[in-house]
Amino acid sequence: MSKDSSVRQRRTIILAVVCLIIVGVMFALPRLGLSVFSMHTLIGVFIWVMVASSLRVLSLSGQGSIGHVAFMAIGAYTSAILAKYLGWSLWITMPVGVLATVIVAFLVGIPFTRVRGIYFTMVSLFFGILVLSVDQVFNKYTGGYSGLSAIPRLFAYNKIPYYYFCLALMVICLGIMYRLEHSRIGLTWKAVAQSYTVASSIGIDEVRQRILCLVVSACFAGVAGVAYAHYFTILTTETFSFNQSITVFVYMTVGGPGLFAGPIVGTIILLVIPELLRDLKEYVPLVYAAILLIVLFFMPEGLAGLPAQIRGWFSRRVKSRQIQPAEEVGKRAS
Amino acid sequence: MLLEIHELTKNFGGLIAVNQFSMGVGEGQIVGLIGPNGAGKTTVFNLITGVIRPSGGKVEFDGKDVTGRSPHVLAKCGIGRTFQLTPLFTEFTTLENVVASYYLHPRSSFWGAFFGTPGYRHNESYALEQSLRILDLVGLIKVKDERAMNLPHGYQKMLGIARALAVEPHLILLDEPLGGMNADEITFTMDIMAKVRGQGMTILVIEHNMQILDLCDHVVAINFGQKIGEGSVADVRNNPEVIKAYLGEQNVA
Repeated sequence: MSKDSSVRQRRTIILAVVCLIIVGVMFALPRLGLSVFSMHTLIGVFIWVMVASSLRVLSLSGQGSIGHVAFMAIGAYTSAILAKYLGWSLWITMPVGVLATVIVAFLVGIPFTRVRGIYFTMVSLFFGILVLSVDQVFNKYTGGYSGLSAIPRLFAYNKIPYYYFCLALMVICLGIMYRLEHSRIGLTWKAVAQSYTVASSIGIDEVRQRILCLVVSACFAGVAGVAYAHYFTILTTETFSFNQSITVFVYMTVGGPGLFAGPIVGTIILLVIPELLRDLKEYVPLVYAAILLIVLFFMPEGLAGLPAQIRGWFSRRVKSRQIQPAEEVGKRAS
Repeated sequence: MLLEIHELTKNFGGLIAVNQFSMGVGEGQIVGLIGPNGAGKTTVFNLITGVIRPSGGKVEFDGKDVTGRSPHVLAKCGIGRTFQLTPLFTEFTTLENVVASYYLHPRSSFWGAFFGTPGYRHNESYALEQSLRILDLVGLIKVKDERAMNLPHGYQKMLGIARALAVEPHLILLDEPLGGMNADEITFTMDIMAKVRGQGMTILVIEHNMQILDLCDHVVAINFGQKIGEGSVADVRNNPEVIKAYLGEQNVA
C-alpha cells in the first residue's frame, strides 16, 4: 500500500510539473513571436477545449449530449445581446450569460433527467434544435441565419489580451473540472453512471446528481460561449448548429472520453489538422472520418489513452496479474 | 418491530405478484424469507426498498411510514440491501466500490468536497478507514485494488454485502447471498452474517438454500405472492403448506 501510494504520488508530481511547463510555454508563446494567425487558431482551440471538456463532465454521470453547444449558445447570445442592445459592461454581461446558462440547464434538467442513457441523448438533440428555433423566431434580436454581428469586443483589435484571457479561462475551467472529478462529487457521478439502481441503494439521489452534473457541465459550456461571442463578435445559427454539437462530441470521442486529457487532446488534434492541411481543405472531412474510424476500432481509450495502451502491450507479456480462486474466501473462515 | 409490512400488494396489470402480504422483522433478528422461484420474494424486497411502488398496503420502518419512498430515502433511513444478480460498480476497484458507498455517513456537501475543506478531508479519511475495515471483515482486503468486474462470483457477492454495510444500516436486506456459492463460501458467508448481527444489525434474507435456516430466528414462507407459513425454523420446516410448495403434493395411489 505505501509503495503503491508513493508511486502514485510521484506520478502526480510529474504530471503537475508537465502541466505547469505546458501552461508556462503557452503563456510565453505570444512573447516568442507567435504569428497572429496561430494565435487566432489557438484561441479557438482554448474555447473548444472548454466545450469538449464540459461535455466530458456530463459523461461522467453517464449522460451523453448531442446538443451541447446549445448551452454555449445561451451564454453567448445572452451576453452579446445585453452588451449590444443595452450597452452593459462586458464584465457584467459575461457572468450574466453564464448564470443564464446555469438557470436554463437547471430548468431543462428537471424534465430531461427523467430519462436515461440514449433517451437522454435524444432529448438533448431536441434541446439543441429548440434553442436554434428560438434563435430564429426572435431573429429581430438574435439575427437568425444572417447573424448577430458587431458584438462589442472585450479588448480592442489586439489579439494578445484575448489569447491570455482565453488561456487563463481554460486553465481555470480545466482546474475546476479536474478538482470536481477527483473529489467525492466525481466519484458519485461515476457511480451513478455505472448503475443507478445500486447508486440509489446506497443513498445517492441519482436524479439530483444527474441534474447537478448537467448544470455544472452547462456552466462550463456557457463560459466558453461568452468567450466565443466577444472574441468572434458574430453569432449565427450555424455557429451553434447540430453539426457543431456533433463535432464537439467527436473531439471528445477521438481524444478518449475515459480520460481527463481526452477531450483536450482530441480538440487540439482535430482543430489543428485542418489548419495544417489548408491546401487540401476539401479533404478535411475525409481525414476526420479516417481518424474517427481508426480511433473507434483500434483505440478503445482514444488518442489520449494511446501511451497507456502501448505500455499495456509490453507489460502484459511480462506479468499477468492473477486473482486467487474463489475458494480462498471460504478457507479464510476456517 | 423494526420493520413492519401490512397487507402489501403489488399487481403488474392482471398479475398479482404480491397479495396482502404482512410480516414483521424484530430488532436484532435474522429473518428468512423463503419460497420457490417466482414466489414474489424479490418483489417484496423491491417494494420495501422503493424500487417499485406498491399498489396497496403499508411499509413501516422504525415506526415511520416509508411506503413508496424512493430508494435513496430508504437508504438514508437505514436500510442497506444487496442484489440477486450482484450489480456492482463494475469499473471501480473493490475498494472504490465501498468508498463510493460511504456516501451518507458522513455526508459531505458539494462545496465542502469542491474546496477540500478539513471537514471533507476528515470525512474522506473516515470513509477510507471504514471501507478497509469492512473489506477486512468480508475477506476482500487482498483484492482491494482489483476491478470489480474481474472478481470471481463469490467475491462479487461478498462485495455486494460490503457495499450494503457501508450505508451503516440498521436493517440489511440480502437477496440470495448464497446463490451460486460453493460449500466453503457458504460457511464463510453465514459466518459473516452472524458477525454482522453481532454488531447489532438486523437482517432480512431471501434464500433458496435451506442451510440459511440454521441462522434464522424467524422464517416466513411465501408462494404465489401470499404468505403460506410463518414461525420458528422448526414450525416452517414441518408446515404442510411449505412442504407442498417445495416438494409438490403427495399422490397416494
